Amino acid sequence: MPSPPFCTRYERCMKKFRVFPWMIAGIIAVSLVSRLDGRQQPKASGPQVEAAYLYNFGRFVTWPATLSAGQFGICILGEDPFGAVLDSTVSGETIDGKQIVTVRISNVQGAQNCRILFISPSEDKRLKQILAALDKSSILTVSDMPEFVQRGGMIQFVLAANKVRFEVNLATAEEARLQLSSELLKVAAAVKRVPSGT
Amino acid sequence: MKMRSSWSYSISRRLTLMNMLVSGVALLLACVTFFAYDRVSLKETMVNNLSIEAQIIASNSISALVFNDAEAAESTLAALKASSNITAAAIYTAKGSEFAKYSGQDPRAAASIDASPYRACASRPAIPEGKARAYSFAGDQLTLARRVIFEGKPVGIVCIQSDLKALDARVKRFVSMGAVILAVSLLAALLISGRLKRSVSEPIIQLASVALAVSREKNYAVRAAPAGKSGELATLIGAFNEMLEQIQERDVALQTARDQLELRVQERTAQLAAANKELEAFSYSVSHDLRAPLRHIDGFSMILMQKYGPTLDATAQQYLKRVRDGAKHMGHLVDDLLNMARIGRQELVVRPSSLNQMVQGTIADLKSECEGRQIDWQIANLPDMKCDPGLMKVVFTNLLSNAVKYTRRTEHAVIEVGRLSENGSTIIFIRDNGAGFEQEYAHKLFGVFQRLHRAEEFEGTGVGLATVQRIIQKHGGRIWAEGKVNQGATFLFTVVPLEVKA
Repeated sequence: MPSPPFCTRYERCMKKFRVFPWMIAGIIAVSLVSRLDGRQQPKASGPQVEAAYLYNFGRFVTWPATLSAGQFGICILGEDPFGAVLDSTVSGETIDGKQIVTVRISNVQGAQNCRILFISPSEDKRLKQILAALDKSSILTVSDMPEFVQRGGMIQFVLAANKVRFEVNLATAEEARLQLSSELLKVAAAVKRVPSGT
Repeated sequence: MKMRSSWSYSISRRLTLMNMLVSGVALLLACVTFFAYDRVSLKETMVNNLSIEAQIIASNSISALVFNDAEAAESTLAALKASSNITAAAIYTAKGSEFAKYSGQDPRAAASIDASPYRACASRPAIPEGKARAYSFAGDQLTLARRVIFEGKPVGIVCIQSDLKALDARVKRFVSMGAVILAVSLLAALLISGRLKRSVSEPIIQLASVALAVSREKNYAVRAAPAGKSGELATLIGAFNEMLEQIQERDVALQTARDQLELRVQERTAQLAAANKELEAFSYSVSHDLRAPLRHIDGFSMILMQKYGPTLDATAQQYLKRVRDGAKHMGHLVDDLLNMARIGRQELVVRPSSLNQMVQGTIADLKSECEGRQIDWQIANLPDMKCDPGLMKVVFTNLLSNAVKYTRRTEHAVIEVGRLSENGSTIIFIRDNGAGFEQEYAHKLFGVFQRLHRAEEFEGTGVGLATVQRIIQKHGGRIWAEGKVNQGATFLFTVVPLEVKA
């Protein structure tokens, strides 16, 4: 039970020891909380968080209604950084009532049934051809390779203050007739407009 | 008049009090009920409003939770600044660790992470399984926690805390409003009871004053003024007036009956007195007029006896003797009757007299009758009394001569004159051990010409005891007798003795 804030003794204490004890208390509390946090939640590794984000992007993005594949494909092009983590994350889950399947493909031709395509940093050199091949195909492209958004990708994972964040390129997403929810944009580290072909 | 004013004061005050009490209690009950209901519904409203705010926060912080963006969540929470009643809010991850927080507009709370409102939200109510929200009223805070559901899965928890200032303000407003309403309605009750006083208490006060006048002055001619046409009051007053009327009628009837009775008693008394006088006169004149023929019979039979006695044979002489005895007896009868008549007419001449002397004198007079007899006289000391000595003498003479006469056949005659006290009255008794009588005929002893013995056994006229009873009754006493056959008789009479001065 918290003591009521109008207690006079409490106020007197506040006046007397304005800073010192509170600072100590604050430090202790913060350290306690952080330690507790650390014990409760082992720090999520980068791939694990990214795998969860990949799957969640699917929930904040609206694909054109013409697409009517029976499954929701999350594909990985190139070297797979996730391994089993992604499969365990999406196993048994559905998006828009469609079963999620993970597909690893070695070239962009295998991406016809993909909704989300994670392009591995191993494909850095081929990125321009890949994006050109995907043009107008309503596939959400995600990657953690540097400068991905400037180069025409849609969502790029970035690290900010030791946290996995992401930047969004609204222009290319709109070209691909994908609607990104404002909620997604709200939590994006940066929202940019870099049209394709620049 | 003073009485009346206090009366009116009390009854109208009671009526007023009653009105005010009833309306006050009713209003208070209504107020309390309404207040309780309003409090409950206000709490519900508060919970619902907070729930809606929590829902808004929840749906706006889904992406922040999903993409682990605490800043976005905090900026969502910061929108709560618009609600001044929200003291703290926080968002937790699905696992329960803290994600973002908002610490109201309280600068003190904002100054410190550990300020009490925020800590309170940390102790948020647990949401039961399968429920979307939970809330608790604790202290002066309402804390509400709500799951953040995304695509059917919980992704976090929103907790909002609100103060109860709205509730307190409502209480204050309610109390002041209730007080005003109560005051106004009590004033109204006061005014209404003032009007009521005129229609209810006035007639009662009037009735009371009339009743008072009736009971004080015994005046049944007054009437209470009627109040209205119907209702219990009108009935009461009507019944009261009717009662008075009946009492009046009865009074008149009673008075008439009393007057008539008086008249009748006077008439009867006069008739009785006349009859009595007539009777006395008749018996006196009869006995008086009987004397003359008696004297003839007696006189001439004596002459016959003296002059022609020797020439008559024994039978004729026997007859003549019978005639003479009869005449003598009749003479006695006439004398006694005359006596009785005289006593009946006679006024008492009362003076203090000694009963002792009277008894001694009477015994002396009886000497001749006691010739050749052994009589044991036992005379107690008798009191003096106020009486007519001549008549009292007659009483003792009769009773003592009776005693002497009826002990004639007793071997050791004992005649006792004594006194005893019973219930504060003095009784004189004369006891003998003579022939006595049957107790069941005791009441006949005092009748005129009533005798319990044959004339052959004991001579007598049957008038003596009747005379004695008359004299005792004239003196305000009573006389009675006790006896058994052959075991003597006792005659007792009450007297009023003079105060014995020591």
